[in-house]
Amino acid sequence: MAPLQRSLLPLLLASIFAGCSSKAAESDEIRPVTVWWFQWPPAAGLAELAQDFTRETGIAVDVRQIPLDSYQEQVFQEFGGNETKFDIVIGDSQWIGRGATKGLYEELTEWLPSVIALDSIHPRAARYLCEYPEGSGRWYAAPCETDAIGLAYRKDWFEDAAERTAFKKRFGRELAVPATWEEFRDIAQFFQRPAEKRYGCAFPTGRAYDSLTMGFQNLLWAFGGKWHADDSNHVVGHLNTPATAAALEFFAELVRLGPKGAENLGYGEVLEAFQNGSTAMLCNYFAFFPSIQAQYGERVGFAPVPGKDGRRVASLGGQGLSISTRIAPERKELAKKFIAWFLQRPVQERWIEKPAGFTANTAILASPAFRAQTPYNAPFADSIDTMRDFWNVPVFNELLNVTQKHLGKAIDGELSVQDALDQLAAEKERILKEAGLLP
Amino acid sequence: MTAPRREMLGYAFVAPTLVFLVAFNVFPLAYNLVLGFTDAELVARGFEWRGTANYGRVFADPEFAQALRRTGLFVASAVAIELVLGFVVALALRARFRGRDVLLTALLVPMMLSPAVIGLFWNLILDGNYGVLNQALGALGLAEPQWTTDSDFKFLSILLIDVWMWTPFMLLISLAALNSIPGTLYEAAEVDRAGRWTVFRRITLPLCAPLLGLAALLRATDALKQFDLVMAVTGPNDERTQTVSTLLYQVLFRDGKLGLGSAYACLALVLVIALATVFTRYLDTLARRST
Repeated sequence: MAPLQRSLLPLLLASIFAGCSSKAAESDEIRPVTVWWFQWPPAAGLAELAQDFTRETGIAVDVRQIPLDSYQEQVFQEFGGNETKFDIVIGDSQWIGRGATKGLYEELTEWLPSVIALDSIHPRAARYLCEYPEGSGRWYAAPCETDAIGLAYRKDWFEDAAERTAFKKRFGRELAVPATWEEFRDIAQFFQRPAEKRYGCAFPTGRAYDSLTMGFQNLLWAFGGKWHADDSNHVVGHLNTPATAAALEFFAELVRLGPKGAENLGYGEVLEAFQNGSTAMLCNYFAFFPSIQAQYGERVGFAPVPGKDGRRVASLGGQGLSISTRIAPERKELAKKFIAWFLQRPVQERWIEKPAGFTANTAILASPAFRAQTPYNAPFADSIDTMRDFWNVPVFNELLNVTQKHLGKAIDGELSVQDALDQLAAEKERILKEAGLLP
Repeated sequence: MTAPRREMLGYAFVAPTLVFLVAFNVFPLAYNLVLGFTDAELVARGFEWRGTANYGRVFADPEFAQALRRTGLFVASAVAIELVLGFVVALALRARFRGRDVLLTALLVPMMLSPAVIGLFWNLILDGNYGVLNQALGALGLAEPQWTTDSDFKFLSILLIDVWMWTPFMLLISLAALNSIPGTLYEAAEVDRAGRWTVFRRITLPLCAPLLGLAALLRATDALKQFDLVMAVTGPNDERTQTVSTLLYQVLFRDGKLGLGSAYACLALVLVIALATVFTRYLDTLARRST
């Protein structure tokens, strides 16, 4: 053997041995409880909070933040394998049907009441974030971040004496936080001054995922419209009604009272339109409001979304904690241990201190301390009682896709509102029939 | 070495490549064909046979027809513009002048960047509110279109980005084609007092045609897969910009329908093969003519 080879051989053997032993040591260690969520401030807050769990139990928690644009695809590709890299997934409310019916989410119906009184969870959060079918009492998630769309407005503009006088002169009433969508439109019209680069309002209207649908829903239900029949999945005759058409026409009118490109703004772009100081009012999820508050301080105000004819409904947001079925039983136990800890009231009280750490705990939501904690907590607590969600059936994504397309066509003027709704209703029934959700 | 042994050695040499090809090309293709006749889902265990139902659905789907038309329009427009622009710039760069090499290197940079990165930074340039382009147009008192959100401009914006990115490729191939033309032909034309247009029409263009055709074929097959730019600029489900690839992504990874998506993919593959066959036959014809 050549001298070089003679000297390299022991090194090679040593490195192989070291590699094997480190692999063995790795498998002996307990892998942290792995939680997947998309990249945003509440996920960072959860990672911080989870350190308390580690201190108390010695069990490490790894909160992985996945870029939002590819979050859904990455999660479901993981579920396509035999074992998921995550133990807990914080899934969008709309995913729960797919998670429950395809055997991806562990059913928690038997276990959850042993760690928390179910009536301590806000009924709307339970219905839309945790149960499938909605209100069935079958739990597939525990509430994590509860969210709804709310209103943020430039308080300094609303309180400006000259603006108030001009508004009163034009509309014959005080410039105040809008309680109805008509008042909202008037205020948006009043502040819509493109020559001064000042705009009335901004809504989520993005076409890439669900923004447009979530933005529109606030008007849909307030105007008396529906996605489907109250007691069934029938769509034709329930969606394409005069009430839904009126809501969509009104929404299109509001979109035109926004900044340039207002007909296609993702959640981040809506926030940008408000934070660049050009827009008087924005409708977006409460989870985005901490950064607005941090930027504007006293110059911004928050409120629930307006209503119509005494009906006020906010689009639901937020996600629940679900345990993957595709992990080992001992990992499921660890995941349950973390969720049980997270749901405890003292932990929830620490959770609400994190940015956008909105709880579903009814007692905390009703407490004066919570309502006074930030300027947006009280309107959030008031909104949660009115929130509703889009479809969460297993084919939600196809329903969402056609909804985004047809609403977009109506907003862009490519189809009349009625034609868009008629086509949308027919498309939805086709999808539901193919999925076996309609006879 | 005996003949059988030499034969065995031959097989041994090609075996790794064959295994690789079967594992990563033949098997996925065959499996995709099988899945196209099932109701397989991304997250569900097992599947059931659906016969030709998926194909029936694809043929009846106006969304697929629209994505095909959109992709066809994109390929035809992008390849034509890039070919003409690339060839024109190559003609201009054929002459030797000071700084030519630096200019050529600078012109080639876009095609060396990742399409996803290009999509993201063009998003910033084209942003309706704070993009550099609209700032410049606004400063000149011109209209400021919403390049990436207005339904009349979205597709054009993606086309513009693709042209910016891939014209250098056509330029490079065109330069190679121009440089391969023997100088003696031009000298002979000069002796015959042929005009510039005649020289271009009778010598330059015919002799460049096979290589330009090949470049067009390569770009067309690449443009048929257009995905990155659409994803970066508008996302996969925007009807105005949806290509076959982004529709496939939507069906497979968002809707999770493996069976249906496989049927879409098979049909798309058939179309690509048909197009490639037409192109290669055309190239063969050109080659026969030139010999």
